[in-house]
Amino acid sequence: MRVNEAPAPRFTHGLVAHDGPADFAGRVAPLAAAALDRGEQVTLAVSPATEELLRARLDDGQVTSLTALAPAARASGQTVAAWRARELRALCSAGRDVFVVAEHDAALDGPDGSYWTELEAALNISLGGLPVTQICGYPQIPLHHVVGDAALINHPLLLHGGDLMHNPEHRSPAQVMANLPVAPPELLGPPDVFLRYNTFELSRVRDAVEDAVRGSELERTRGEDLVLAVNEIATNAVEHGSSQAELFLWAGADELVCELHDEGRLEQPLIGLAPPHPSQARGRGTWIARQLCDALHVWRDSGGTHVRLLARA
Amino acid sequence: MIKLAGDLSSGDHVCAIPDSDEHLSELSARFVAGGLRRDEKIFFYDDAGAADAMLRRMYEDGAPVEEPLRTGQLEIIPEEYTRAAFRTPIGALAESVAGTVWDAVDHGYAGARLTGQMHSSVEPGTSATLPEFDGALDSVLGRSPLTALCTYDHGHYTDEQIEIMRALHRDHLALTGAYDDGLMRIVRIDATSARLAGEIDHSNRPKIASLLQSSLDSALRSADASTDIELDMASVRFIDVATAVSFVHAAEMFPASHSLVLNRVRPRVQRILDRCGAPFAPQLRFSDRAPSGTL
Repeated sequence: MRVNEAPAPRFTHGLVAHDGPADFAGRVAPLAAAALDRGEQVTLAVSPATEELLRARLDDGQVTSLTALAPAARASGQTVAAWRARELRALCSAGRDVFVVAEHDAALDGPDGSYWTELEAALNISLGGLPVTQICGYPQIPLHHVVGDAALINHPLLLHGGDLMHNPEHRSPAQVMANLPVAPPELLGPPDVFLRYNTFELSRVRDAVEDAVRGSELERTRGEDLVLAVNEIATNAVEHGSSQAELFLWAGADELVCELHDEGRLEQPLIGLAPPHPSQARGRGTWIARQLCDALHVWRDSGGTHVRLLARA
Repeated sequence: MIKLAGDLSSGDHVCAIPDSDEHLSELSARFVAGGLRRDEKIFFYDDAGAADAMLRRMYEDGAPVEEPLRTGQLEIIPEEYTRAAFRTPIGALAESVAGTVWDAVDHGYAGARLTGQMHSSVEPGTSATLPEFDGALDSVLGRSPLTALCTYDHGHYTDEQIEIMRALHRDHLALTGAYDDGLMRIVRIDATSARLAGEIDHSNRPKIASLLQSSLDSALRSADASTDIELDMASVRFIDVATAVSFVHAAEMFPASHSLVLNRVRPRVQRILDRCGAPFAPQLRFSDRAPSGTL
């Protein structure tokens, strides 16, 4: 599979290690107010408590909130990063820079906190080319030490006093993810469809997904988009992974889940997060697949590379 | 004798061995459309979804479909009747077919045409063998204004059955010089245009690059050739992202004097092209008309 490199950085990503919502709101509000003064858009992805504190300190009418994702999508950091990029790209298209206030949520820590490592590294790729400043609040002492470590290595800037300062601990997404096992998604039961295929049998993969779409409540274009998304991932699996790959499909009335497994070794799993350059001949399939699904999660283990795609009616 | 699909007339009994499902529906659709133009009544014996595939291809070819179905000029014989026909004693079957042909003539038609998916003729429980059925059809052709196209596809007939039936038929449909891998079919219309059918993915994408290269080469080497490289996409049901990107990039690499024109692109395929930058490539154009000389 191909790794999309981040384009020239325009994204500003800063960390605030705080003592609680009031401390966080008090320290980030002056930056947000300055952004509003500069004519930027300010938008929030924080808890209700922090949001109330921030809105009280800012001109409430000028502050918006980012869309909350459904649980299945929210559980995948790379999916959240892809959706966040899509939403912020739309906001930026109005011609004004965007200032985002985001916040750690312990409910997403999972068993080891690695969700946050994946999310923040993925945001550094997916938002890399956008005129966005995102300030992330993390507790000084998180439940998992991994969360604190992830916050430190993924943010190039730290808020000290009232200024954003260079963070010498910052590492690129490739360095962060080099040895990190991305968590697999939750296990599902026995699949409704299983098939092994090779390069010359990609049409069997598409036919299997088409059949499942016909039996679901997915509307026609959504179904066709899912077939395309699965085809792109299935193609990657046999082109870059191994000569034979596998499709697993779980067909619900209002939700289809497909997994592609190959035996290839993926250098890093955060693929398809940055929009490819128009002149780039290849490497577009995974990016488009991410745009077409409700969730797309890539992970790897000793058995190879795995991708789960989810589409909901 | 080799017969051209467009030149068939009453009394012709031709055989064709299609390369693929796309080829089968292409042949059937042209045979049916030819009969409609000649004001003949068409009997299409359906089985295994063949009628749907044939009708879909007729739509894509721009041939009339609704009107002949409504008036009964085009009659689809349902699968269960097709199967029952081959369990009918062969003499009675031949008389019944001849009777329906003359009925059609009585209703003002110029004659009748017969084709379809008839592989149930080789399944257990039939009243005769495949060569016997074919002989009975020949006898009907000799005494009524009927034209018949017998298709023997590799999906439903064994190689041995196909060879026997190929040998038994005196007349065969002329083969077009086509690329056909079972998933995608390319039929060249002329030096700078072609009709594509089926699905294009990682397995056959290189053929498209070769086609575009050779078409552009022909256009550049001939002073009289069109400056448009035209691909009729009416029957293309799927392209992958890399194929869409290759169309866009190929057009961008053309000399400024030449364009790539994609005709009759289906909405599903158009959406993929749009996502891959097609609207921003000035030398990639879209048209709703069929290329001249299209099949």
